[in-house]
Amino acid sequence: MDPPSDHEVVDLRSLDYVSRYDDHLMCPICHCPFIRPIRLQCDHVFCQKCLNTAITSFAGLRDDFTCPSCRTPTKGVYLNVPRLLINMCDDIRVKCPFAAEGCEEVMPRGHVQSHIDKYCSYQLVDCPNDQCGKKTRKMDLHPEKCMHALHPCQHCGEDIMQKDYEEHVQESCPRLETTCPDCQTTVLQTEFQEHVEVCPEMNHPCAASRFGCPVKVTRAELAAHEQECPLVMMGPYLDAQNSRLGSLEATVRHLQQRNEIYEDGLSNIRSTLFESSRGVPERNPNSPQDSLNQDRLPGAPEQPANDQWIDLPNVYTTNANTYLLSLHESLREEVGQLSHAITDLDARASMAIMNECLRIKEDMAHTNAAVSSIRMQVQWLMNPRLHQAQRMAGARNNNNNGNGNANDGDDTATAGPSNAAGPSPGLLRPRRLSDGGREGTKL
Amino acid sequence: MFAAKRLGKELLKMKEHLPPGIAIVKSENLEEWHMDLQVLDDNPLYQNETYRLKFTFSSKYPIEPPEVQFIESPTTPTSPRPIPIHPHIYSNGIICLDLLSSAGWSPVQTVESVCVSIQSMLTANTRDERPPGDSDFVSYNRRRPRDINFFYDDDNV
Repeated sequence: MDPPSDHEVVDLRSLDYVSRYDDHLMCPICHCPFIRPIRLQCDHVFCQKCLNTAITSFAGLRDDFTCPSCRTPTKGVYLNVPRLLINMCDDIRVKCPFAAEGCEEVMPRGHVQSHIDKYCSYQLVDCPNDQCGKKTRKMDLHPEKCMHALHPCQHCGEDIMQKDYEEHVQESCPRLETTCPDCQTTVLQTEFQEHVEVCPEMNHPCAASRFGCPVKVTRAELAAHEQECPLVMMGPYLDAQNSRLGSLEATVRHLQQRNEIYEDGLSNIRSTLFESSRGVPERNPNSPQDSLNQDRLPGAPEQPANDQWIDLPNVYTTNANTYLLSLHESLREEVGQLSHAITDLDARASMAIMNECLRIKEDMAHTNAAVSSIRMQVQWLMNPRLHQAQRMAGARNNNNNGNGNANDGDDTATAGPSNAAGPSPGLLRPRRLSDGGREGTKL
Repeated sequence: MFAAKRLGKELLKMKEHLPPGIAIVKSENLEEWHMDLQVLDDNPLYQNETYRLKFTFSSKYPIEPPEVQFIESPTTPTSPRPIPIHPHIYSNGIICLDLLSSAGWSPVQTVESVCVSIQSMLTANTRDERPPGDSDFVSYNRRRPRDINFFYDDDNV
């Protein structure tokens, strides 16, 4: 099923896959990303090679090969898979198959073949010599020469392959020699370390260098120098002094620690004493002194006890001061908190007042408007009556007849809210006024 | 080469995640693996027991099935590994299961899927008995499991 190829095909299954790939891209038989995938009728996909192997090994057992995943008969139908799937599988990144030879290239799987064919200089190729069955790296390849031919090393006589010869001569040949930088003698490279230990020309520091002797001379002269070097003479004495200093320092440190512990204990005792003396001064003012005197060591002189007694009030007052100060501090804090709370309350109250004021102002505006509208209406209602009164007064003055009186009575009855009433032109003016009053109410 | 590559990939995956009740005991070489198996539901036949499965892989794995059987090892009193009682498991640990035969095997099976299958085979069992002719089979059988011709006639368990 493989197409004939003129070059060696890379086994994609043995590659080192660098990137993680989706399980769905994995052939269920070889657990590699699909290599030349084939689809069966049941839509299960396998590598072509895996499926072939499975078919050949199953051929003896069954007539009809069934899908390895779902056991549906294949009926010999093998379908192509979408190009997409092949591309996804070919995009998975792998290491160059010649990573063991030193190639560090990482590339998509689809490029492996071209990388090896064209670019990889670490590829192992057959030796040009037909007699030699070995392989060599492309970069080491000589067009005509077999790099595996054995050459005896001119120094050690060992047979070395051509390809390793240079490295052998420069680095690993046991007969390789090197020159000591100090004594100029040539020694074998393998023995150089031992030579350094014994080289007579190499500069060694004086044995008393740690005490400050700056002399650095060859091993031969060193013995003579050390004979007369004063620091070497004093060496043992200085060493002894050093060790004494060390032990003294350790003792001092130890004593300091003990001292700290004692001081702690002493201050503890003092504080308990003050507390008890504060509790009983009315009853027995002398008791602190008594207890102190009793506690005092019998061998101790009078002076320290007096000091302690003199200290007592001092410490007491300091204690009281600190207490008062702390009390003051806490009070100050409380006051601060209270003032904060007050400011807060003040702000809240003024806010509430403002809100209320706004509301009241609005209400007042409404009431004002209503009042003015009522005023208008009242005026409008009053107007005809006033006019009538005037006209009646005028008519009475002019000695009008009863007809005029009747008409005026009708007018009075119909005058008011009805707009149809009042044919007399004198009534138009107040009506307009009342309209204007209504508009004012709306506003 | 093929088998080793495939087993290596399976091992990597199993070290990341295994179904509950299944554990790898020994997988250093790529020819014989030991797995520990527990039945997790409250089937009284298998409660609080751990069983050990031995997988032997041929070079043609996964095209050819691995040889799978229960083993009694180690026989220390602290962690005993008995052979589970089951009408398809002989007392020498040989399992009569069609998917382990060449005919029933499919190359898509993995060590993990085989373990799960055997686990579910134990879970579903209610019969506290060995296969018929167990003692005869155990005393006379010298063949390897793969060479035995089982008849897979019982579909109940």
